[in-house]
Amino acid sequence: MFIPMLLSGCGGPLSTLDPAGPAAASAAWLWWAMFAFATVVLIVVVALWLYAMRRDPGDVTDESAQRVQNRWIVGGGFVLPLVSITALLAFGIPAGHNMMPLASDEDVLRIDVTAHRWWWEVSYPEEGIALNNELHIPVGVPVHVHVTSEDVIHSFWVPRLAGKLDAIPGRTNVLRLQADETGIFQGKCAEFCGAGHAHMDFTVEAHPQDDFDDWLEEALQSND
Amino acid sequence: MTEAGTEERQALHQRLERVWANPPGWRSLAAVNHTTIGLRFMATGVVFFLIAGVMAMLVRTQLALPAQDIISPDVYNQLFTMHGTVMMFLFAIPVLEGMALYMIPKLIGARDLVFPRISSLGYYCYLFGGLIILSSMVLGMAPDSGWFMYTPLSSAEYAPGPGSDFWLLGITFVEISAMAAGIELTVSILRSRANGMSLRRMPIFCWYILAMALMIVFGFPPLILASVLLELERAVGMPFFEVAGGGDPILWQHLFWLFGHPEVYIIFLPAAGIVSTLIPVFAQRPIVGYRWLVLAIILTGFISFGLWVHHMFTIGIPKLAQAFFSVASMLVAVPTAIQVFAWLATLWTGRVVYSLPMLWIIGFLVVFVCGGLTGVMLALVPFNWQVHDTHFVVAHLHYVLVGGMLFPLIAGFYYWLPHLSGRMPTRVLGNWGFWLTFIGFNVTFLLMHLTGLLGMPRRVYTYEPGLGWDWLNLLSSVGGFIMAAGIAMIILDIALHFRFGRPAPRNPWGADTLEWATGTPPVSYNFASLPDLRTRHPLWESPELPDTIASGEHGLTDVSHGRREIYGSDAITGKVRHVIHLPGNSWWPLFAAMGLALVCVSLLVRVYPLALVGVVSALVFLLRWSWENGAHPSAALLVHGESHDPPLHSRTTDGPGLWGMVVTLMANGTFYLSLIFGWLYLWTASPGWSVPEGEQIALWLVIASGLALTAAWMDFEGAVRALRRGVDQGLQRRFWRAGLLGGGHVALLLWALRDASLAPTALAHDAVLLVMLVYVLGHGGLAALLTVLQAVRVGKGYVGRHVPYEPVVVRPFWVYTVGIFWLSVAVFLLLPMAWGTPA
Amino acid sequence: MIPGWTHPVHLFAGLVIWSLWFVALYGGLSVGCAVAPPAAEQGALTWLNGGLLMLTLVVTALLAYAAWRCWRLAPAGDAQRFVLRVAVGVYLVSAGSTLAVGLPVIVYPPCV
Repeated sequence: MFIPMLLSGCGGPLSTLDPAGPAAASAAWLWWAMFAFATVVLIVVVALWLYAMRRDPGDVTDESAQRVQNRWIVGGGFVLPLVSITALLAFGIPAGHNMMPLASDEDVLRIDVTAHRWWWEVSYPEEGIALNNELHIPVGVPVHVHVTSEDVIHSFWVPRLAGKLDAIPGRTNVLRLQADETGIFQGKCAEFCGAGHAHMDFTVEAHPQDDFDDWLEEALQSND
Repeated sequence: MTEAGTEERQALHQRLERVWANPPGWRSLAAVNHTTIGLRFMATGVVFFLIAGVMAMLVRTQLALPAQDIISPDVYNQLFTMHGTVMMFLFAIPVLEGMALYMIPKLIGARDLVFPRISSLGYYCYLFGGLIILSSMVLGMAPDSGWFMYTPLSSAEYAPGPGSDFWLLGITFVEISAMAAGIELTVSILRSRANGMSLRRMPIFCWYILAMALMIVFGFPPLILASVLLELERAVGMPFFEVAGGGDPILWQHLFWLFGHPEVYIIFLPAAGIVSTLIPVFAQRPIVGYRWLVLAIILTGFISFGLWVHHMFTIGIPKLAQAFFSVASMLVAVPTAIQVFAWLATLWTGRVVYSLPMLWIIGFLVVFVCGGLTGVMLALVPFNWQVHDTHFVVAHLHYVLVGGMLFPLIAGFYYWLPHLSGRMPTRVLGNWGFWLTFIGFNVTFLLMHLTGLLGMPRRVYTYEPGLGWDWLNLLSSVGGFIMAAGIAMIILDIALHFRFGRPAPRNPWGADTLEWATGTPPVSYNFASLPDLRTRHPLWESPELPDTIASGEHGLTDVSHGRREIYGSDAITGKVRHVIHLPGNSWWPLFAAMGLALVCVSLLVRVYPLALVGVVSALVFLLRWSWENGAHPSAALLVHGESHDPPLHSRTTDGPGLWGMVVTLMANGTFYLSLIFGWLYLWTASPGWSVPEGEQIALWLVIASGLALTAAWMDFEGAVRALRRGVDQGLQRRFWRAGLLGGGHVALLLWALRDASLAPTALAHDAVLLVMLVYVLGHGGLAALLTVLQAVRVGKGYVGRHVPYEPVVVRPFWVYTVGIFWLSVAVFLLLPMAWGTPA
Repeated sequence: MIPGWTHPVHLFAGLVIWSLWFVALYGGLSVGCAVAPPAAEQGALTWLNGGLLMLTLVVTALLAYAAWRCWRLAPAGDAQRFVLRVAVGVYLVSAGSTLAVGLPVIVYPPCV
């Protein structure tokens, strides 16, 4: 009963488990893999403990205690964590690599986002468009969001598309954002920033490329 | 036992009691006994725990349903900030310190800690600091920037009220107590163990506490520095963390987490020590893999200092640097896994007796392993970017802290309850308390992982319906209240047991360690005589030990001199080297703490002259306190023909004071290195860093003052060398000269400071320089002052050829002062010249 | 003066070396990126990565050597055995941690 309830509960406009972009998708994948593995480890360790407490050890000589010690500590204390870490990094490092901003950003759409208490100032510097609390991106291609802040530290987060990146006064961080399906995606400030933190929302709308070009044109005209 | 034997025992008890007892009634505020102080720490900590628990209940009430308006965002922000702050700083650390202060002397076979008055000072700093912090909540002006106080949210511009000041000043005040406990526990464990208790014969709990104590010594100074800097920024506008002035808010995060991550292990290690102590007792066999556990403890102590950036994966630092910290964060799973499997092996080879403490240990295992596993997940950077700062992290940290600290702590409470009260805990209420807490906890926090994955950020005071978070939050709130009922049950159980518990037999759990030989409840002097040890399991191998100890068959039973005495032993072998005479009950710690409280409060209300009064009065009290030392009549007056086998520690050139000084200087050095880190960090990483043109401080003056300082130190050094050879001719003259030269150094440096063209409120660069100069000045001044006092003490006969101890203790302070002076010249003045002005 | 291999300082010396190396690694990376950052296009094949890798390998080798020395020594008595055995573990884990934490320099570009 619990599992289907969990699975059906995985949706939601801010759910990292309902990804719509490559970065969020690989993070969700990592989650499910780690979740499965961790569950097995937890159950096995607890079961071993409970069994160890119940079993009759018989006569344990110092030598046999020594053997038990070496078996459990080398196996559980070294092999288990080291194998797990290696496996984790084998999947994690490439996944992380694919989330980094592209090295050559000449052809990539740039969007500047400046966080304020408690709203998001959005601008397309090359196109000269300015917006509040909404981003528009073409679907299927990466864009670079340059994030900074005017006041305190905020964090730019669109859970269904990618991980979060902090907006820090004096610094500009670059987030690679990509949507694989069209639609409106919710974003939220993820770093506590004071009284209005809970309501510091924004949206990212992913358009098909043609629609996006139309939108750009329209936005330019209305901006003038 | 014969009647004569009982009478003799009683007489010995009375003699010891006269020397060691606390003063009666309200004058027990002057008590310094470690049992008393430890209990005060724990009782105060539990009260703070309950208060912070109520705050958590309010938070859960507000979040139970979407779009609720029970608590305003303003109050909500204060509530969660205070919940975290109080739980971390006023509950978790102090209660564990209290437990360590209570237990350690009993475990190592000593009568008290080596610096009893420091214990008392620590307690009062904790109590006053805690009350000051809590008063902010009552006044409705509590800090509201989250317990890690990120700037600029906590800065004067965005937190204009006094909330942040309460946090910064109050926490720094409380940290004095943590530092005091850290230093005192380190030296006690290393230098006052029972005769023959070598390192490998120490109860495993002592290793855990030693690691915790040293981690406090190295872990807290970065936060103390950060708090001082941020308070300076808020109070006088020195822009350490302001981009406009060349500062950087990220510096705060580095300094905070440089403390904050080790802090998690500072909390976990003593709790794991409880687990490692209880499991062998209930498995009825020695712990399997003692050496493995020692290895795991040492590894944890070090590696946990290399993880702090994993709290900062989303701030945009280079991916390579993130990878270092990611791997290190995962590696810390190794020592934890070693411990879990050593415990497993012990249970595997033992015959386990079921009991209430064991139930809590099982609860600990389930919850803590779960928290550890989510910790490894969080160490993976790409996953961290998704769940960082969401309720997933809230769930994780509660699993680690409640599982890794609260559960073992309660197990320990139940286990040592008979020791404290002489009565056994009951079964029924205790079981109810466990199950309600365990179930309530998991209902609250297991689901919260999913809440976070569904995108709920932490620290939001409310949320819209329809995001998939509604049922999860409702269940979490219900679970929270179940857990609260469980905690209430435990408190009721413990309260009732004092009245109705069945009297405990001697060594009720069949334990192997010495604390069960003190009598239950313990007597003020712990042990009537101090035994020699040849084993790690004294009570298993010689069950008659409690009796022979009580009847005075072992060492140090003579108290005719009226002094409190314990053995001072070799740090490695545990062989007795001297007898430490401890100071008795005293009001000075309370007065000194009141002076410091006055500083704290007057800084809060910004009446600076009053703060100066507080500083001076605290200093006077502390120096007056230090006066009763060495051959002072109230310490250990020199008498003709006193025993030299073993000698009193003040008659030697080695003792707990020297070790205490060195450990204090290690903490101080960490503070100083944190300042250097901040300086280099700002030079390389601050986005708006700017360096003024030209020479700001007259280098020749600084160097001249340094030469005076070095000359003073060499004079002092020469005097100490002669003293070590047993020569005290001209001692007083040399001390006077060294003191005066030190004074000259201070005067020259003050002159340099007066003539310096610093703009500390405009530029972070100049602000750091000013802090450095004040730091160096303070050390020079203190060194000179202490030396002058030594000169006076030589005149009084408290220090000399037969009592050479104190100058030896002061000596490391001189070495340190000279060292940091020249290092400062190199790093703060010369290095930037070589570096040149950055583009 | 280096105390003999059975001195308790070897209970933690390996980790002190590890800590110093860690500071050098992170500090070296930060200073390197502040003073002369290699271009992102170069990937992981930069002078900075190379230097850090060399440092890592040298420290790993040093720690592994110390572990080997402690392992080879025959203890005289229980007290020495305790120190030597724990020291072997500390040096080995320090060596392993050095290598593991340092290895990402062959994958990631340094300053992005």
